[in-house]
Amino acid sequence: MVSSSPVRHAVVVEDDADIRGLLVLVLEQLDFVVTEAPDGLSGVEAVRNTNAELVTLDVNLPDIDGMEVCRRLREFSDAYILMLTARADEIDRLNGLDIGADDYINKPFSPKELQARIRALFRRARTSAAAADDTGQTDELARAAVVQQSLLPRETVRLEGYDVAGAFRPTRSVGGDFYDWYQTRNGMHLTFADAMGKGMGAALIAATVRAVMRSVADTPAIDAAFGSASTTIASDLDQSGSFATMFHARLDAPSGKLSYIDAGHGLALHIPAEGAAQRLVSAGPPVGILDGQHWAAAELQLEPGDSLVIVSDGVLDAHASLEDFIRNVEKAARSEGTSDGVCAALLELAPAATAEDDVTAVVVHRKPDIGR
Amino acid sequence: MQFSYEVKDSYAEVKSVGRLNMVAAPKLREVVNEVVAGGSSRVVVNLAETDFMDSSGLGALIGCLKATRQAGGDLRISGVQPQVKMVLELTNMDRVLTAYPSAEEAFGDD
Repeated sequence: MVSSSPVRHAVVVEDDADIRGLLVLVLEQLDFVVTEAPDGLSGVEAVRNTNAELVTLDVNLPDIDGMEVCRRLREFSDAYILMLTARADEIDRLNGLDIGADDYINKPFSPKELQARIRALFRRARTSAAAADDTGQTDELARAAVVQQSLLPRETVRLEGYDVAGAFRPTRSVGGDFYDWYQTRNGMHLTFADAMGKGMGAALIAATVRAVMRSVADTPAIDAAFGSASTTIASDLDQSGSFATMFHARLDAPSGKLSYIDAGHGLALHIPAEGAAQRLVSAGPPVGILDGQHWAAAELQLEPGDSLVIVSDGVLDAHASLEDFIRNVEKAARSEGTSDGVCAALLELAPAATAEDDVTAVVVHRKPDIGR
Repeated sequence: MQFSYEVKDSYAEVKSVGRLNMVAAPKLREVVNEVVAGGSSRVVVNLAETDFMDSSGLGALIGCLKATRQAGGDLRISGVQPQVKMVLELTNMDRVLTAYPSAEEAFGDD
Protein backbone atom coordinates (compact mmCIF):
# COMPACT_ATOMS: atom_id res chain seq x y z
CA MET A 1 0.00 0.00 0.00
CA VAL A 2 1.32 3.44 -0.95
CA SER A 3 1.05 6.01 1.76
CA SER A 4 -0.55 9.21 0.45
CA SER A 5 1.20 11.51 2.88
CA PRO A 6 4.00 10.99 5.37
CA VAL A 7 2.30 13.31 7.88
CA ARG A 8 -0.82 12.00 9.60
CA HIS A 9 -3.15 14.51 11.21
CA ALA A 10 -5.44 13.81 14.13
CA VAL A 11 -8.02 15.95 15.90
CA VAL A 12 -8.92 15.60 19.57
CA VAL A 13 -12.43 16.88 20.34
CA GLU A 14 -12.73 16.98 24.12
CA ASP A 15 -13.91 19.67 26.53
CA ASP A 16 -11.98 18.46 29.58
CA ALA A 17 -8.54 20.04 29.35
CA ASP A 18 -6.80 17.28 31.33
CA ILE A 19 -8.19 14.45 29.25
CA ARG A 20 -7.52 16.46 26.10
CA GLY A 21 -3.89 16.85 27.09
CA LEU A 22 -3.59 13.13 27.75
CA LEU A 23 -5.16 12.26 24.40
CA VAL A 24 -2.76 14.60 22.60
CA LEU A 25 0.20 12.90 24.27
CA VAL A 26 -1.09 9.45 23.39
CA LEU A 27 -1.59 10.38 19.74
CA GLU A 28 1.74 12.16 19.45
CA GLN A 29 3.43 8.98 20.62
CA LEU A 30 1.85 7.36 17.57
CA ASP A 31 3.42 10.12 15.38
CA PHE A 32 0.24 12.02 14.68
CA VAL A 33 0.27 15.80 14.25
CA VAL A 34 -2.52 16.70 16.67
CA THR A 35 -5.00 19.58 16.66
CA GLU A 36 -7.07 20.21 19.80
CA ALA A 37 -10.70 21.26 19.84
CA PRO A 38 -12.56 22.05 23.10
CA ASP A 39 -16.03 21.82 21.56
CA GLY A 40 -17.94 20.21 18.70
CA LEU A 41 -18.12 23.04 16.18
CA SER A 42 -14.43 23.89 16.36
CA GLY A 43 -13.75 20.15 16.10
CA VAL A 44 -15.61 19.90 12.80
CA GLU A 45 -13.68 22.89 11.49
CA ALA A 46 -10.35 21.44 12.61
CA VAL A 47 -11.03 18.18 10.76
CA ARG A 48 -11.99 20.15 7.66
CA ASN A 49 -8.84 22.31 7.81
CA THR A 50 -6.30 19.58 8.53
CA ASN A 51 -7.88 16.78 6.49
CA ALA A 52 -7.34 14.60 9.55
CA GLU A 53 -7.20 10.82 9.29
CA LEU A 54 -8.18 10.22 12.91
CA VAL A 55 -10.63 11.90 15.28
CA THR A 56 -11.15 11.13 18.94
CA LEU A 57 -14.53 12.39 19.92
CA ASP A 58 -16.09 12.86 23.35
CA VAL A 59 -19.82 12.07 23.46
CA ASN A 60 -20.67 14.92 25.83
CA LEU A 61 -19.56 18.33 24.55
CA PRO A 62 -20.64 21.84 25.58
CA ASP A 63 -22.20 22.87 22.25
CA ILE A 64 -23.30 20.10 19.89
CA ASP A 65 -22.96 16.53 21.14
CA GLY A 66 -20.57 13.88 19.83
CA MET A 67 -23.27 12.16 17.80
CA GLU A 68 -24.02 15.36 15.93
CA VAL A 69 -20.31 16.02 15.36
CA CYS A 70 -20.00 12.53 13.96
CA ARG A 71 -22.89 13.07 11.53
CA ARG A 72 -21.44 16.35 10.32
CA LEU A 73 -17.96 14.87 9.87
CA ARG A 74 -19.36 12.04 7.80
CA GLU A 75 -20.65 14.57 5.24
CA PHE A 76 -17.13 15.31 4.10
CA SER A 77 -14.59 13.14 5.94
CA ASP A 78 -13.73 9.46 6.01
CA ALA A 79 -11.40 9.89 8.98
CA TYR A 80 -11.41 7.13 11.59
CA ILE A 81 -13.66 8.29 14.38
CA LEU A 82 -13.06 6.87 17.84
CA MET A 83 -15.77 7.85 20.29
CA LEU A 84 -15.12 8.17 24.01
CA THR A 85 -17.96 7.51 26.38
CA ALA A 86 -18.12 7.68 30.14
CA ARG A 87 -20.63 4.84 30.38
CA ALA A 88 -20.20 1.28 29.19
CA ASP A 89 -23.92 0.86 28.51
CA GLU A 90 -23.81 3.77 26.10
CA ILE A 91 -21.82 1.74 23.60
CA ASP A 92 -24.79 -0.42 22.65
CA ARG A 93 -27.00 2.58 22.20
CA LEU A 94 -24.43 4.46 20.14
CA ASN A 95 -23.86 1.45 17.96
CA GLY A 96 -27.57 1.08 17.43
CA LEU A 97 -27.78 4.64 16.15
CA ASP A 98 -25.27 3.81 13.44
CA ILE A 99 -23.85 7.30 13.39
CA GLY A 100 -20.70 6.34 11.55
CA ALA A 101 -18.12 6.02 14.30
CA ASP A 102 -15.45 3.36 13.83
CA ASP A 103 -14.85 2.33 17.41
CA TYR A 104 -15.85 3.17 20.96
CA ILE A 105 -13.81 3.33 24.11
CA ASN A 106 -14.82 3.83 27.73
CA LYS A 107 -13.51 6.51 30.02
CA PRO A 108 -11.40 6.15 32.01
CA PHE A 109 -9.26 4.49 29.36
CA SER A 110 -5.69 3.33 29.57
CA PRO A 111 -3.32 5.05 27.12
CA LYS A 112 -2.03 1.65 26.06
CA GLU A 113 -5.50 0.40 25.28
CA LEU A 114 -6.25 3.52 23.27
CA GLN A 115 -3.08 3.13 21.25
CA ALA A 116 -3.85 -0.53 20.62
CA ARG A 117 -7.32 0.40 19.36
CA ILE A 118 -5.93 3.06 17.04
CA ARG A 119 -3.32 0.73 15.65
CA ALA A 120 -6.05 -1.84 15.09
CA LEU A 121 -8.14 0.70 13.19
CA PHE A 122 -5.31 1.51 10.82
CA ARG A 123 -4.29 -2.13 10.49
CA ARG A 124 -7.83 -2.96 9.49
CA ALA A 125 -7.67 -0.32 6.79
CA ARG A 126 -4.69 -2.09 5.26
CA THR A 127 -6.42 -5.44 5.42
CA SER A 128 -9.57 -4.26 3.74
CA ALA A 129 -7.60 -2.36 1.10
CA ALA A 130 -5.84 -5.62 0.29
CA ALA A 131 -9.17 -7.35 -0.19
CA ALA A 132 -10.78 -5.01 -2.67
CA ASP A 133 -13.92 -7.11 -2.97
CA ASP A 134 -14.61 -6.82 0.73
CA THR A 135 -18.28 -6.92 1.44
CA GLY A 136 -19.97 -4.89 4.13
CA GLN A 137 -20.45 -8.05 6.13
CA THR A 138 -16.79 -8.93 6.41
CA ASP A 139 -16.04 -5.34 7.36
CA GLU A 140 -18.58 -5.60 10.14
CA LEU A 141 -17.00 -8.86 11.25
CA ALA A 142 -13.55 -7.31 11.20
CA ARG A 143 -14.84 -4.61 13.50
CA ALA A 144 -16.46 -7.14 15.78
CA ALA A 145 -13.18 -9.05 15.93
CA VAL A 146 -11.39 -5.87 16.96
CA VAL A 147 -13.88 -5.28 19.75
CA GLN A 148 -13.62 -8.89 20.93
CA GLN A 149 -9.83 -8.90 20.84
CA SER A 150 -9.73 -5.65 22.80
CA LEU A 151 -11.59 -7.29 25.71
CA LEU A 152 -8.81 -9.69 26.62
CA PRO A 153 -6.56 -8.60 29.48
CA ARG A 154 -3.25 -7.13 28.43
CA GLU A 155 -1.67 -7.40 31.84
CA THR A 156 -0.34 -10.76 32.96
CA VAL A 157 -1.11 -11.92 36.47
CA ARG A 158 2.02 -12.53 38.52
CA LEU A 159 1.19 -14.15 41.81
CA GLU A 160 3.82 -15.78 43.93
CA GLY A 161 3.31 -19.52 43.90
CA TYR A 162 0.90 -19.47 40.93
CA ASP A 163 1.09 -19.83 37.17
CA VAL A 164 -1.88 -18.14 35.48
CA ALA A 165 -2.51 -18.19 31.72
CA GLY A 166 -5.29 -17.71 29.21
CA ALA A 167 -5.71 -18.36 25.51
CA PHE A 168 -8.33 -17.43 22.96
CA ARG A 169 -8.92 -18.43 19.37
CA PRO A 170 -11.70 -16.58 17.57
CA THR A 171 -13.79 -18.02 14.78
CA ARG A 172 -14.21 -16.18 11.54
CA SER A 173 -17.77 -15.36 12.49
CA VAL A 174 -16.77 -13.81 15.87
CA GLY A 175 -18.53 -15.07 18.98
CA GLY A 176 -19.03 -13.64 22.43
CA ASP A 177 -16.27 -15.40 24.37
CA PHE A 178 -13.89 -13.45 26.53
CA TYR A 179 -11.98 -13.64 29.78
CA ASP A 180 -10.70 -10.89 31.98
CA TRP A 181 -8.55 -10.78 35.08
CA TYR A 182 -6.70 -8.37 37.28
CA GLN A 183 -4.56 -8.61 40.36
CA THR A 184 -5.86 -7.53 43.73
CA ARG A 185 -4.12 -6.93 47.03
CA ASN A 186 -4.33 -10.58 48.05
CA GLY A 187 -4.71 -12.37 44.77
CA MET A 188 -6.80 -11.94 41.67
CA HIS A 189 -10.30 -11.62 40.21
CA LEU A 190 -11.24 -13.56 37.13
CA THR A 191 -14.25 -13.37 34.82
CA PHE A 192 -14.93 -15.85 32.06
CA ALA A 193 -18.02 -15.30 29.93
CA ASP A 194 -19.70 -16.24 26.71
CA ALA A 195 -22.35 -13.92 25.32
CA MET A 196 -24.80 -15.72 23.09
CA GLY A 197 -24.69 -14.86 19.43
CA LYS A 198 -22.19 -13.91 16.78
CA GLY A 199 -20.68 -10.80 15.29
CA MET A 200 -20.85 -7.26 16.58
CA GLY A 201 -23.91 -7.90 18.77
CA ALA A 202 -22.14 -10.59 20.78
CA ALA A 203 -18.89 -8.62 20.95
CA LEU A 204 -20.68 -5.56 22.33
CA ILE A 205 -22.55 -7.59 24.93
CA ALA A 206 -19.23 -9.11 25.95
CA ALA A 207 -17.78 -5.58 26.23
CA THR A 208 -20.63 -4.56 28.51
CA VAL A 209 -20.23 -7.65 30.69
CA ARG A 210 -16.52 -6.97 31.06
CA ALA A 211 -16.99 -3.31 31.99
CA VAL A 212 -19.78 -4.04 34.48
CA MET A 213 -17.83 -6.83 36.17
CA ARG A 214 -14.83 -4.52 36.51
CA SER A 215 -17.05 -1.85 38.04
CA VAL A 216 -17.88 -4.12 41.03
CA ALA A 217 -14.24 -5.05 41.73
CA ASP A 218 -14.26 -3.09 44.98
CA THR A 219 -17.42 -4.66 46.38
CA PRO A 220 -16.04 -6.85 49.17
CA ALA A 221 -18.46 -9.81 49.02
CA ILE A 222 -18.46 -11.81 45.82
CA ASP A 223 -22.19 -12.59 45.88
CA ALA A 224 -23.11 -8.94 46.46
CA ALA A 225 -20.74 -7.92 43.65
CA PHE A 226 -22.13 -10.50 41.26
CA GLY A 227 -25.71 -9.77 42.26
CA SER A 228 -25.45 -6.09 41.49
CA ALA A 229 -23.46 -6.67 38.28
CA SER A 230 -25.83 -9.31 36.98
CA THR A 231 -28.83 -7.03 37.47
CA THR A 232 -27.19 -4.38 35.30
CA ILE A 233 -26.10 -6.91 32.72
CA ALA A 234 -29.52 -8.58 32.64
CA SER A 235 -31.29 -5.34 31.81
CA ASP A 236 -28.93 -4.79 28.88
CA LEU A 237 -29.33 -8.38 27.75
CA ASP A 238 -33.08 -8.12 27.91
CA GLN A 239 -33.06 -5.26 25.42
CA SER A 240 -31.01 -7.26 22.97
CA GLY A 241 -32.84 -10.55 23.60
CA SER A 242 -29.61 -12.29 24.50
CA PHE A 243 -27.97 -14.00 27.45
CA ALA A 244 -24.48 -14.68 28.77
CA THR A 245 -22.98 -17.62 30.63
CA MET A 246 -20.54 -16.39 33.25
CA PHE A 247 -17.97 -17.71 35.65
CA HIS A 248 -16.56 -15.24 38.15
CA ALA A 249 -13.93 -16.09 40.75
CA ARG A 250 -11.85 -14.39 43.39
CA LEU A 251 -8.65 -15.96 44.60
CA ASP A 252 -6.96 -15.36 47.92
CA ALA A 253 -3.48 -16.37 46.83
CA PRO A 254 -1.71 -17.04 50.15
CA SER A 255 -4.39 -19.47 51.37
CA GLY A 256 -5.49 -20.86 48.00
CA LYS A 257 -9.11 -20.09 48.84
CA LEU A 258 -11.14 -19.51 45.70
CA SER A 259 -14.69 -18.11 45.87
CA TYR A 260 -16.67 -18.45 42.67
CA ILE A 261 -20.07 -18.03 41.10
CA ASP A 262 -21.09 -20.00 38.05
CA ALA A 263 -24.07 -18.67 36.10
CA GLY A 264 -24.89 -21.30 33.52
CA HIS A 265 -21.31 -21.77 32.39
CA GLY A 266 -20.68 -25.19 33.87
CA LEU A 267 -17.29 -25.73 32.24
CA ALA A 268 -14.91 -24.98 35.09
CA LEU A 269 -12.94 -27.91 36.46
CA HIS A 270 -10.87 -28.46 39.55
CA ILE A 271 -7.89 -30.67 38.73
CA PRO A 272 -6.35 -31.68 42.06
CA ALA A 273 -2.69 -32.64 42.30
CA GLU A 274 -3.90 -36.09 43.23
CA GLY A 275 -7.33 -37.53 42.61
CA ALA A 276 -10.01 -37.19 39.97
CA ALA A 277 -11.00 -33.98 38.20
CA GLN A 278 -14.21 -32.40 39.45
CA ARG A 279 -16.51 -30.20 37.45
CA LEU A 280 -17.65 -27.16 39.44
CA VAL A 281 -21.42 -27.23 39.46
CA SER A 282 -23.31 -24.23 38.15
CA ALA A 283 -25.37 -22.21 40.64
CA GLY A 284 -28.12 -21.31 38.18
CA PRO A 285 -28.99 -20.48 34.58
CA PRO A 286 -27.10 -17.92 32.49
CA VAL A 287 -27.56 -14.19 33.12
CA GLY A 288 -30.42 -12.62 31.17
CA ILE A 289 -32.86 -15.54 31.15
CA LEU A 290 -35.03 -15.06 34.21
CA ASP A 291 -35.77 -11.93 36.21
CA GLY A 292 -34.77 -11.74 39.85
CA GLN A 293 -32.35 -14.63 39.63
CA HIS A 294 -29.86 -15.19 42.46
CA TRP A 295 -26.66 -17.16 42.12
CA ALA A 296 -25.05 -18.59 45.23
CA ALA A 297 -21.32 -18.32 45.72
CA ALA A 298 -19.30 -21.47 46.36
CA GLU A 299 -15.78 -22.12 47.56
CA LEU A 300 -12.92 -24.24 46.41
CA GLN A 301 -9.59 -24.87 48.09
CA LEU A 302 -6.67 -24.81 45.65
CA GLU A 303 -3.92 -26.86 47.24
CA PRO A 304 -0.32 -26.78 46.01
CA GLY A 305 -0.20 -28.69 42.71
CA ASP A 306 -3.92 -28.11 41.98
CA SER A 307 -5.30 -26.34 38.93
CA LEU A 308 -8.51 -24.53 38.10
CA VAL A 309 -9.31 -24.91 34.40
CA ILE A 310 -12.09 -23.05 32.63
CA VAL A 311 -12.92 -23.55 28.97
CA SER A 312 -15.64 -22.30 26.63
CA ASP A 313 -18.33 -24.44 25.04
CA GLY A 314 -16.32 -24.58 21.83
CA VAL A 315 -14.19 -27.21 23.58
CA LEU A 316 -17.23 -29.10 24.86
CA ASP A 317 -18.84 -29.13 21.39
CA ALA A 318 -15.88 -31.09 20.04
CA HIS A 319 -16.70 -34.00 22.38
CA ALA A 320 -19.37 -36.67 22.17
CA SER A 321 -20.00 -36.86 25.92
CA LEU A 322 -19.31 -35.00 29.12
CA GLU A 323 -17.12 -37.88 30.32
CA ASP A 324 -14.92 -37.66 27.20
CA PHE A 325 -14.70 -33.93 27.65
CA ILE A 326 -13.63 -34.12 31.30
CA ARG A 327 -11.15 -36.90 30.56
CA ASN A 328 -9.49 -34.92 27.76
CA VAL A 329 -9.41 -31.65 29.71
CA GLU A 330 -7.82 -33.44 32.66
CA LYS A 331 -5.27 -35.10 30.39
CA ALA A 332 -4.36 -31.75 28.81
CA ALA A 333 -4.11 -30.12 32.24
CA ARG A 334 -1.70 -32.75 33.51
CA SER A 335 0.39 -33.10 30.35
CA GLU A 336 2.21 -29.82 29.93
CA GLY A 337 4.73 -27.98 32.05
CA THR A 338 3.40 -24.44 32.14
CA SER A 339 -0.11 -22.99 32.22
CA ASP A 340 0.55 -21.49 28.78
CA GLY A 341 1.31 -24.97 27.52
CA VAL A 342 -1.86 -26.33 29.11
CA CYS A 343 -3.94 -23.58 27.47
CA ALA A 344 -2.46 -24.43 24.08
CA ALA A 345 -3.26 -28.11 24.62
CA LEU A 346 -6.83 -27.21 25.65
CA LEU A 347 -7.39 -25.20 22.47
CA GLU A 348 -6.14 -28.19 20.50
CA LEU A 349 -9.07 -30.21 21.88
CA ALA A 350 -11.27 -28.21 19.50
CA PRO A 351 -9.31 -28.36 16.23
CA ALA A 352 -9.44 -25.05 14.36
CA ALA A 353 -10.46 -26.76 11.13
CA THR A 354 -13.73 -28.07 12.54
CA ALA A 355 -14.58 -25.66 15.38
CA GLU A 356 -17.74 -23.61 14.76
CA ASP A 357 -17.36 -21.45 17.83
CA ASP A 358 -14.68 -19.40 19.57
CA VAL A 359 -12.45 -21.43 21.81
CA THR A 360 -11.17 -19.99 25.08
CA ALA A 361 -9.25 -21.46 28.01
CA VAL A 362 -7.95 -20.11 31.32
CA VAL A 363 -5.72 -22.00 33.74
CA VAL A 364 -4.92 -21.00 37.33
CA HIS A 365 -2.28 -23.40 38.62
CA ARG A 366 -0.97 -23.35 42.16
CA LYS A 367 2.61 -24.52 42.01
CA PRO A 368 3.56 -27.52 44.13
CA ASP A 369 5.48 -26.84 47.34
CA ILE A 370 9.05 -27.84 46.75
CA GLY A 371 11.61 -28.63 49.43
CA ARG A 372 9.43 -28.11 52.45
CA MET B 1 -31.32 -28.54 9.24
CA GLN B 2 -35.04 -28.46 8.70
CA PHE B 3 -38.05 -27.27 10.61
CA SER B 4 -41.66 -28.10 10.02
CA TYR B 5 -44.69 -27.48 12.15
CA GLU B 6 -48.15 -28.77 12.71
CA VAL B 7 -50.90 -27.01 14.65
CA LYS B 8 -52.75 -29.44 16.91
CA ASP B 9 -55.81 -28.96 19.14
CA SER B 10 -54.20 -27.37 22.17
CA TYR B 11 -50.63 -26.71 20.99
CA ALA B 12 -48.38 -26.49 17.96
CA GLU B 13 -45.55 -28.92 17.37
CA VAL B 14 -42.34 -27.72 15.72
CA LYS B 15 -40.11 -30.51 14.51
CA SER B 16 -36.39 -29.87 14.43
CA VAL B 17 -34.31 -32.20 12.27
CA GLY B 18 -30.51 -32.03 12.25
CA ARG B 19 -27.93 -29.91 14.05
CA LEU B 20 -29.25 -26.92 15.98
CA ASN B 21 -26.28 -24.55 15.55
CA MET B 22 -25.66 -20.97 14.48
CA VAL B 23 -26.88 -21.69 10.96
CA ALA B 24 -30.14 -23.27 12.10
CA ALA B 25 -30.83 -21.01 15.10
CA PRO B 26 -32.31 -18.04 13.18
CA LYS B 27 -34.53 -20.41 11.17
CA LEU B 28 -35.98 -21.90 14.35
CA ARG B 29 -36.79 -18.43 15.61
CA GLU B 30 -38.48 -17.60 12.31
CA VAL B 31 -40.62 -20.72 12.38
CA VAL B 32 -41.68 -20.28 16.01
CA ASN B 33 -42.44 -16.60 15.45
CA GLU B 34 -44.61 -17.60 12.51
CA VAL B 35 -46.43 -20.17 14.65
CA VAL B 36 -47.00 -17.64 17.45
CA ALA B 37 -48.15 -14.99 14.97
CA GLY B 38 -50.61 -17.56 13.64
CA GLY B 39 -52.26 -17.70 17.06
CA SER B 40 -50.57 -20.72 18.71
CA SER B 41 -48.59 -19.61 21.73
CA ARG B 42 -48.32 -23.08 23.26
CA VAL B 43 -45.43 -24.60 21.36
CA VAL B 44 -43.55 -27.88 21.66
CA VAL B 45 -40.20 -28.12 19.94
CA ASN B 46 -39.68 -31.78 19.14
CA LEU B 47 -35.94 -32.46 19.30
CA ALA B 48 -36.09 -36.22 18.75
CA GLU B 49 -34.08 -35.89 15.54
CA THR B 50 -31.66 -33.23 16.77
CA ASP B 51 -28.50 -34.83 18.07
CA PHE B 52 -26.43 -31.66 18.45
CA MET B 53 -27.10 -28.21 19.85
CA ASP B 54 -24.61 -25.41 20.58
CA SER B 55 -25.01 -22.14 22.45
CA SER B 56 -26.58 -20.46 19.40
CA GLY B 57 -29.20 -23.20 19.33
CA LEU B 58 -29.78 -22.79 23.05
CA GLY B 59 -30.12 -19.06 22.46
CA ALA B 60 -32.77 -19.67 19.82
CA LEU B 61 -34.75 -21.87 22.24
CA ILE B 62 -34.59 -19.15 24.92
CA GLY B 63 -35.67 -16.51 22.41
CA CYS B 64 -38.60 -18.72 21.37
CA LEU B 65 -39.48 -19.36 25.03
CA LYS B 66 -39.65 -15.61 25.64
CA ALA B 67 -41.74 -15.07 22.51
CA THR B 68 -44.33 -17.69 23.49
CA ARG B 69 -44.55 -16.44 27.09
CA GLN B 70 -45.03 -12.88 25.88
CA ALA B 71 -47.95 -14.14 23.84
CA GLY B 72 -49.41 -15.75 26.97
CA GLY B 73 -48.27 -19.28 26.20
CA ASP B 74 -45.23 -21.43 26.85
CA LEU B 75 -42.51 -23.34 25.06
CA ARG B 76 -41.65 -26.91 25.97
CA ILE B 77 -39.31 -29.43 24.47
CA SER B 78 -39.58 -33.13 23.82
CA GLY B 79 -37.50 -36.07 22.66
CA VAL B 80 -34.27 -34.59 24.04
CA GLN B 81 -31.16 -36.49 22.87
CA PRO B 82 -28.02 -37.00 25.04
CA GLN B 83 -25.86 -34.15 23.73
CA VAL B 84 -28.72 -31.65 23.93
CA LYS B 85 -29.54 -32.90 27.44
CA MET B 86 -25.91 -32.35 28.42
CA VAL B 87 -25.92 -28.75 27.18
CA LEU B 88 -29.18 -28.06 29.03
CA GLU B 89 -27.81 -29.54 32.25
CA LEU B 90 -24.43 -27.80 32.10
CA THR B 91 -26.05 -24.41 31.66
CA ASN B 92 -28.71 -25.20 34.27
CA MET B 93 -31.31 -24.54 31.61
CA ASP B 94 -33.03 -27.85 32.32
CA ARG B 95 -34.72 -26.00 35.20
CA VAL B 96 -36.14 -23.44 32.78
CA LEU B 97 -36.88 -25.51 29.70
CA THR B 98 -38.82 -28.55 30.80
CA ALA B 99 -38.21 -31.68 28.75
CA TYR B 100 -40.97 -34.21 28.05
CA PRO B 101 -40.64 -37.66 26.55
CA SER B 102 -42.97 -36.87 23.66
CA ALA B 103 -44.69 -33.88 22.07
CA GLU B 104 -48.11 -35.26 23.08
CA GLU B 105 -47.13 -35.32 26.75
CA ALA B 106 -45.66 -31.82 26.80
CA PHE B 107 -49.01 -30.08 27.25
CA GLY B 108 -50.80 -33.24 28.37
CA ASP B 109 -51.26 -32.12 31.98
CA ASP B 110 -52.92 -28.77 31.29
